[in-house]
Amino acid sequence: MDSNRSVFSKYRKIIFAVILFMVADAIVIGINFYNTFKADESAVSINLSGRQRMMSQRMTKALLTLGVSMEAGDEDGIKTSLKELTLAVRRFDRTLMGFRDGAMVTGGDDNPVYLTQVGTEKSRQFVAETYVIWKPYMEHLKPLLNSDRDSFSDNYLNATKLEDPARLEDAKKRFQAEENFTDEEFRRKLEYIASNPEQFKEELRAAVAFALEKNPTHSEPQNNRAVLKLMNALTTDLEQVASHRAAILRIVLVVGIVFALINFGYTVIISIRDLMAGDRKLSEARQETIEILATVREGLFLLDKNKKIGTQFSESLPDILRREIVPDSDFLPHLEAIAPRNIYEAAVDYIDLLLGDRVKEALVVSLNPLINVPILVTDPRANTQTRYLSFFFNRVLSDDQQISHLLVTVQDVTDKVVLTQQIEQAKNLAKIEVETLLRLASSDFEALQRFIDNVGKSLAQINEKMSAAHDEARDRLHTLNYIMRIMHGIKGEAAVLGIEALESYAHSCEEELVSMREDEQSLSGDQMLRVAVLLEGFYQRHSSLAQIVARLGNALGKTQPSGGMPDGMTAQKHPFADHIAALAQRIAADHGKQVEVSCQFEKFFSLPKATTKELQDISIQLVRNAMTHGIEMPDERTQHNKPSIGALSLWCEYLGHGQYTFTVRDDGCGIVPDRLRKHFVKKNILTAAEADALSDQEIANRIFQPGVSTVEVADQDSGHGIGLDAVLEKVRGMGGYMLVKSRPNQFTEFNIQFSTVL
Amino acid sequence: MKGINEKDIYTFVDAVSAFFFQVTEEKVEIKTAYLLEGDVPSATFDLTSYITLSGDFSGRIYFSAPRSMLTHLLLLMGEQIRDNDRLLDTAGEIANTISGNARRHFGETMEISVPTTQATDPDWLKTVVSPQSYVILVKWKQYRASVVVDIQRTA
Repeated sequence: MDSNRSVFSKYRKIIFAVILFMVADAIVIGINFYNTFKADESAVSINLSGRQRMMSQRMTKALLTLGVSMEAGDEDGIKTSLKELTLAVRRFDRTLMGFRDGAMVTGGDDNPVYLTQVGTEKSRQFVAETYVIWKPYMEHLKPLLNSDRDSFSDNYLNATKLEDPARLEDAKKRFQAEENFTDEEFRRKLEYIASNPEQFKEELRAAVAFALEKNPTHSEPQNNRAVLKLMNALTTDLEQVASHRAAILRIVLVVGIVFALINFGYTVIISIRDLMAGDRKLSEARQETIEILATVREGLFLLDKNKKIGTQFSESLPDILRREIVPDSDFLPHLEAIAPRNIYEAAVDYIDLLLGDRVKEALVVSLNPLINVPILVTDPRANTQTRYLSFFFNRVLSDDQQISHLLVTVQDVTDKVVLTQQIEQAKNLAKIEVETLLRLASSDFEALQRFIDNVGKSLAQINEKMSAAHDEARDRLHTLNYIMRIMHGIKGEAAVLGIEALESYAHSCEEELVSMREDEQSLSGDQMLRVAVLLEGFYQRHSSLAQIVARLGNALGKTQPSGGMPDGMTAQKHPFADHIAALAQRIAADHGKQVEVSCQFEKFFSLPKATTKELQDISIQLVRNAMTHGIEMPDERTQHNKPSIGALSLWCEYLGHGQYTFTVRDDGCGIVPDRLRKHFVKKNILTAAEADALSDQEIANRIFQPGVSTVEVADQDSGHGIGLDAVLEKVRGMGGYMLVKSRPNQFTEFNIQFSTVL
Repeated sequence: MKGINEKDIYTFVDAVSAFFFQVTEEKVEIKTAYLLEGDVPSATFDLTSYITLSGDFSGRIYFSAPRSMLTHLLLLMGEQIRDNDRLLDTAGEIANTISGNARRHFGETMEISVPTTQATDPDWLKTVVSPQSYVILVKWKQYRASVVVDIQRTA
């Protein structure tokens, strides 16, 4: 509605000029039509008026020839003269009636035509004067005609124009009957003449005499000439009327054309002025758009329904996307080239959703997958780096409120994302401080101190590994796997101690490393720099933690740990038992499971510290595995006729002669080879043929390979395929070996045999 | 290393890479990266150049390379004189390139000294840099060199 108003306002003058032109045009056409119609009538009137003159003379001539034929006894002549006389009289009489009152008459082509009443006073006077002569004249003529009747004067002929062809034909027949003798009429007329010749001659003489005598109302010496003169005058008057109408028509046409020209000139001037003003505004607007697009830092462009980039976009767009952008080109190939696959697919769905009209824009904004999208870009020197882009989409509506385009804004948010990450890091450091305070408050100082020492050593190991130059992607992969195993161990220890900030940092590092590992062939030195940055972050957190522990430990009077219980000292319960039970309960709660944990770690006190540390690391990983892969959800356990609460047991036994055994057992779903086969095929780790070709034992052994996990979605506790290969390496490092026992839906048991005697 | 991110570190490595690419059309490849902490190689080669930062930043950026590498570079540049001073000048030019890149990246708030160059003993860097400085080991042809980033944001 508003847009209609604005269009009207914009083109008001032109619309007004056009309407004026149309109205004037309609008036001129109307006047022309009326005049043309009147001209038609005038033509008929003039034509018939002229014929009246001729008829008056023809009837006089017929009277005279009839008289001659009567005298000569010429029957054919009598017939011809009577016919001529009747035709002339009837036509004259009816036409005169037409001039007086308006009536259907026989036209110039012998077809019926409507004769309108004469319009001017003068004409009416001529007709009236003619009637004065004609009425007695007609009375004298009547006995000579084909019948005694008057002209047809019924309404049928007089009242209307006959547009119906059938009625027109009927009228024509009536006129012919009126104006001509029938054979019967002739026969009767000739019988009358034969039987009353003298009377007929007398009637003829009377008619001739009247035609030739002087009428007292007229200056002409004969009635016949008076009628001729009056009809002449009528014709002249009618011609003058027609001429007057033609003059009016010419004036109207001239005025109309002059007006049309003025109007046209006005319209053209207004249009040109408006067009020039419009062009100027358009040019200014275009210039503004160009300046905006050249200046704006964001990437701006319109996306049409075919997902094509519009013809105009901001100059910064190619720089932000690091791609050459061609106007009117497809957008999706650009997106596909820079965005990770899963994000690209989600983005295509999202764009389709916005281009459709089924959902409101505001409702789906939160679904935009293209926020903080990491992209790998290559600079002119072929170096790759990660940048973060955010794409924002806004619907553009047409005048009829239909979605015509999407306005896309692209921002390089790398600095923002990095800053956010740094803030997050700072928060995590603060969190570490708080958690450390809480840990100290719970008097778990020694465990914390050991953890700090262990983490320090682990980070040093990682750094040393990284300091070796890597020439091949394979070397880097090996290093990544090594780092991941250590990170995983740190994560487990942090989880046991409840230091969530370090646990989550280790987890995020682990995720990044897994992501790097996915494309083994493209592992580059650039990515090692990223690993170094992650490592430095870890050092920072470790350093903060160590400083706080040292400072607060001193303040609370705590001393450096002696390295565990003195040899030979016994205790009812090793503190690690509580830690590992807490870890199991935390994972159970996270996964909606229930578990009862039993630990017998008393023998840990008699083991060397390094061995205890390794067993603790192994315990953490095997407990994670048991809780995520082994223990089922309560409903599932009930279906297998097992208690809804799972059982997890860890114990260490001394077998004598320096031989120990350490066991972790759960009563969960067990290791099921067929299930593993399906999973490996689904994850493209093995082909179906390869999976079928391997024995159950070989399939089960696969779970000890790096990068192999059996959960669908990775989380903080599992899924990155780092755990069991790290366990196996630790067992080997201890010089021991590991036995795995399992039964489907019953249990899984990891039994580690090792010796403290070299 | 507070207030410095991965992108910032890349700036320095990119400068070295750009220098070699401009002269030889052969880019420098990052072999690995680590922190100068504990028992790791010091990444110090025969000749070392460095720039010192102040203003919103403090610390130094080092470029250390073996004589053989710089000699090869001079050879490709068509230099007739390849004595010790010329080699040090070349190391200084690389440090200058790092300086230019850093100024573009960090803006005018970073004040940068003129490059200093010197012949260095194998463990020299370990004795002068802060703990956990970044070492980026790069390779050009068969040679190894290092970029060591020891800076922190102070503002």
